[in-house]
Order: sequence, then structure tokens, then C-alpha cells
Amino acid sequence: MINLFGYRLSWAQLAWFGHRASGLGVLLFLFLHIVETSTVLLGPEVYDFTQTFYQNLPAKLGEVLLMAALVYHALNGLRVIAMDFWPSLTVYYRPLTYGVIAATIISMVPLGIIMTRGYLPWG
Amino acid sequence: MTTLRRPRVIYTNPSRAARPKPEASGTERFWWYFMRLSGLALVILALGHMFIMHVLVVLTGDEINFAFVQSRWGSPFWRIYDFALLVLAFLHGVNGARVVIGDYVNHRTARSLILGVLLVISGIWLVAGMAIIIFFDPSTQSVAGPLS
Ligand code: HEM
Repeated sequence: MINLFGYRLSWAQLAWFGHRASGLGVLLFLFLHIVETSTVLLGPEVYDFTQTFYQNLPAKLGEVLLMAALVYHALNGLRVIAMDFWPSLTVYYRPLTYGVIAATIISMVPLGIIMTRGYLPWG
Repeated sequence: MTTLRRPRVIYTNPSRAARPKPEASGTERFWWYFMRLSGLALVILALGHMFIMHVLVVLTGDEINFAFVQSRWGSPFWRIYDFALLVLAFLHGVNGARVVIGDYVNHRTARSLILGVLLVISGIWLVAGMAIIIFFDPSTQSVAGPLS
């Protein structure tokens, strides 16, 4: 149990909420991504100009957030799928959920460093 | 679109923290399986896409621009890859949004209206997305677009 702003939340609730929020966030980006990619039909000038929207630090941080959302959603989704098809795994839901959260954080360290390369103030 | 009321999963199945498999066979159970099978495919397709575009491109000192898309979509493999990613991620994500709306909007008319709008907008967007991948011509050199 976690105490958040006076609400008592279980890890299961938090994992579920994170899955929902990350899924909706990635979907929102997918809608924008289709609009932005459509400029490729308008030729190199327009497309290369659109891509400059991504070439700054705030956008790179947004990409890191998108990556974190997708990595968490994918790992937690695999946990859900595994438990759906092998119900006996439900016994291990707690260590599996901790594992998903830990693996997301750990994998985001190198990913975050690579994805912001050349855009951070210190190089 | 469904009119079924679903219990919020979190209260009925706290240990899995996901939607339980619908008891009756039919559309709802089809989508339940679809979420899981498309999810498995998306592990490769979506994470692979992010890894190529945001890790490999950086590590190889490449840059995503028109020329990059030209060479990438010059290959049928990547075109089919991106097409599969687009369609699966879109159907998976929009069906997920449909489930979320069903969980929170209880008023029947409001729910039908919101789901209808979601369906129409999603249809237009998905067709547009597929059209981009199908109609892009990698041999175009420098066609001046209407905005340039
Ligand atoms: C990377 C691999 C992915 C896996 C393994 C995965 C897995 C899953 C699973 C198993 C569910 C069903 C959860 C349930 O029935 O309670 C789900 C729901 C969902 N997914 Fe994914 N997914 C992936 C990628 C994506 C992508 C790319 C998007 C966005 C376009 C997305 C958006 C959603 C949404 C909005 C939901 C509904 C959330 C809810 O009902 O709370 N997912 N995902």
C-alpha cells in the first residue's frame, strides 16, 4: 500500500493507472505523428522544416517521456498478457509489478542519455 | 459499438490489474484477445520503431529528414513494417480509448455520442495515415509543395 495525498493505493491500482495513462498518452502522440508525417507528401522543404520542431531540448525531453511511457506500457502489458494466459503467475503479481517498474526506470537511464545527446546544456 | 456496462476492473481483479476476459464469446471477447495479440506484435513493432528512430539514428550520427524517409520507404520491407505498426497501434490504441470511455461515461446518450465521434475521427485519421505510406513516392526529387 502506498499513501498518496491521503488516498490508500495498492501497487496493482498504480500499475493499472499507469498502463491506462501511458496508453492514452502514446495514442495522442500517434494522432499528432500522423499529421506531422503527412508533410512528407509535400516535398523535402516542408518535411525538413516540420522536423525542426523536434530538434530542441524540450522536444527531446518529450521524446524521452514518450519512450518511458511506451517501455512501461509494453512491459506491464507483457505482465498482464502472461498472467492472462498462465493464471498461476497471478501469485507473483507483486514481484512482477515491482520488476516492471524497476526495469522501466533502469532501461530509461541509458535511453535518456542517448536520446538527449547533443541537446543538453553541458553537451 | 458496445452498450455493455463493464465493472471497473481494478475492483474486481486487483491482482492482475487488467480487464478480465469477457465470459460470453462475441465482439467483446474478440477485442480482449485482439488487445493481447496486437500487444505482443507491438512489442517488436513499436519498441523496434522507437529504438531505430531514437537510438540507432543517434548512435550512427544519422538525421531524420526527407532523404532519410526516401531511402527508408524506398525499401518494401520498411514500408510494410511501418504499415503494420500504424494499423495495429491505431486499432489497439483506439479500442483502448473506447474501453476507457466506456468505464467513465455512464450516461447512455453521451456515451454513444462520444464513441461515435471517436469512431469517425479515428476512421479518417487511419485512412489518412495509410494513404501517406502507400502514396509516398521515394523517387520524387524536389517537388515544391503547396506550402513551399
Ligand atoms: C508495445 C507493446 C504493447 C503492449 C504489450 C500492450 C499491451 C496492452 C494490453 C495487454 C492492454 C489491455 C489491458 C486490459 O485489457 O486491461 C492494453 C491496453 C491499452 N493499450 Fe496497449 N500495448 C502496447 C502498445 C500500445 C500502443 C503503441 C498504444 C497507443 C497507440 C497503446 C494503447 C493502449 C490503450 C489506450 C489501452 C487501454 C488502457 C485501459 O483499458 O486501461 N498500447 N495494452
